[in-house]
Amino acid sequence: MINGWELVIGIEIHAQVKSKSKLFSSSSTEFGSGPNSQVSLVDAAMPGMLPVINKFCVEQAVRSGIGLNAKINNKSIFDRKNYFYQDLPQGYQISQFKDPIVGNGFIEIESEGQSKKIGIERLHLEQDAGKSLHDQDPNLTFVDLNRSGIALMEIVSMPDMKSPDEAVEYVKKVRSILRYLDTCDGNMEQGSLRADVNVSVNKPGDDLGTRCEIKNLNSFKYIHSAIIYEAKRQIKLIESGENIIQETRLYNIDSGETRSMRSKEDAHDYRYFPDPDLLPLILEDDWIKKIRSSIPELPDQKKERFIREYSLSEYDSSVIVSDKSTSDYYEKVVKDRNPKLVTTWVTSELFSVLNKKNLSIDESPISPNHLGELIDNIDSGKISSRQAKDIFEEMCETGESANNIINEKGLSQISDEGELEKLVDNVISSNPENVEKYKNGKDKLFGFFVGEAMKLSKGKANPKVLNELLKSKLNT
Amino acid sequence: MLKPYILENMEFDKDSLYKLGKLSKIQIDESKLKSLSSDLGSIIEFIDRLKSIDTENVDPTSNSLDQSLVMRDDIASDVNSANEILENAPQKELDFFSVPKVIE
Repeated sequence: MINGWELVIGIEIHAQVKSKSKLFSSSSTEFGSGPNSQVSLVDAAMPGMLPVINKFCVEQAVRSGIGLNAKINNKSIFDRKNYFYQDLPQGYQISQFKDPIVGNGFIEIESEGQSKKIGIERLHLEQDAGKSLHDQDPNLTFVDLNRSGIALMEIVSMPDMKSPDEAVEYVKKVRSILRYLDTCDGNMEQGSLRADVNVSVNKPGDDLGTRCEIKNLNSFKYIHSAIIYEAKRQIKLIESGENIIQETRLYNIDSGETRSMRSKEDAHDYRYFPDPDLLPLILEDDWIKKIRSSIPELPDQKKERFIREYSLSEYDSSVIVSDKSTSDYYEKVVKDRNPKLVTTWVTSELFSVLNKKNLSIDESPISPNHLGELIDNIDSGKISSRQAKDIFEEMCETGESANNIINEKGLSQISDEGELEKLVDNVISSNPENVEKYKNGKDKLFGFFVGEAMKLSKGKANPKVLNELLKSKLNT
Repeated sequence: MLKPYILENMEFDKDSLYKLGKLSKIQIDESKLKSLSSDLGSIIEFIDRLKSIDTENVDPTSNSLDQSLVMRDDIASDVNSANEILENAPQKELDFFSVPKVIE
């Protein structure tokens, strides 16, 4: 709700299938190659070239559909979506219109501490377009067709989201599911996953307002701020008596504004018709069943299992499972270890280092094995958690294992009572005045004795044992 | 049953004709307007006659061949070099196709 207006948001996600070759041709899909180096005659739409569909892409669409709790259609049809644009040499995009490969489904998101169902209208397969570069020459637009023909899954939601937060949660959840399924790498910076967001506003109880579509948002932050900007723009227009025109808009990441994308206005009559080059796609039940049986554990199930098996809090569990690599990492460390310690070390220490260095968990300077070793040393009482933090820092810098650092620096904690007793006696005998004050009721001095003893041990004393010893000696 | 085809002088309206021309990137000559409109009108009218057939229990046909799509394995191969792909380009810069500036 903004100033008494309700928001209605629907989202189309374009997710690039993680395939080696394109949807209808054998050219490579690798990112970052030289311009026009991965273009076949099919992608360049040379006359007489015929599309042949990539089985792997079909399988990934079905997998994704199953992950979105959706109906898999045994028969689907490829259509031509006609429009004229420099990045589309065919003059049409091969897409699916009336009969998509995947029908209705749903996912669950977290909204205001509660679970909310968001409907999925459909998922269909289509070709990506080429890439235009407008800033290379004052009078020319450059076109690179490497992306042309790469397989996309377009996932269309129902208009079930009511706030920018819900919209972001939805995209995060879909991305997470696709990454678990390994059907899309979810890399938003490289454009492997991008969202078109439909926004409209209305007064509670009124009919839905006219919607505008904001194209090509490739970060959660942009999705959030584009929705807020667009909703406010629409409210302002309506409140000043104007009408909203249904249109496609672009979000400017520098100014944070959306503006009309007039160039595509003429293109709205797509004149869809079945592509005569492509027969209907028929999927046998047995094949779908086989794919269904290969679906891995998905984030929602994993979250429940982590809560059950490792007694994680609801919050910790959702943080850890939201990213597949993080949950894999966590599970490697937690195996046969104290889950509480592991959770703390992963969610606080490790995450803060990764954030600071702007690294993903796959690039973590500390491997799961190394972190596990460190935690073993804490759990066995060999090192204090204070020491562990220093060792952890050093591990980040050097990549050394915890055991090596502990041995090298002689860092292991002194837990031996006999040895600590000597320290304690030493502290007590060299501070008779303070002992007197303490005994006369100045309890706060206890910290002083701990500090002194710690200093003597060069920080190696086991604090728990030390505290107990000091207490018993001082109180007699 | 489909009635035998009789050409009737139904006209395709001018606005639709221009729109179609625009979408097809075809310039329509003013002098051809009348004949084009009448030709297209007849075609539409002919096609419209299909509506008289009862298709209540018939699945739409998207292809006349009774086969499913043949699929290929996901194997990437180096198909063409940038040079080959750009060979027929009317205009190119570096390894890009180049077109008059497109303003969005």
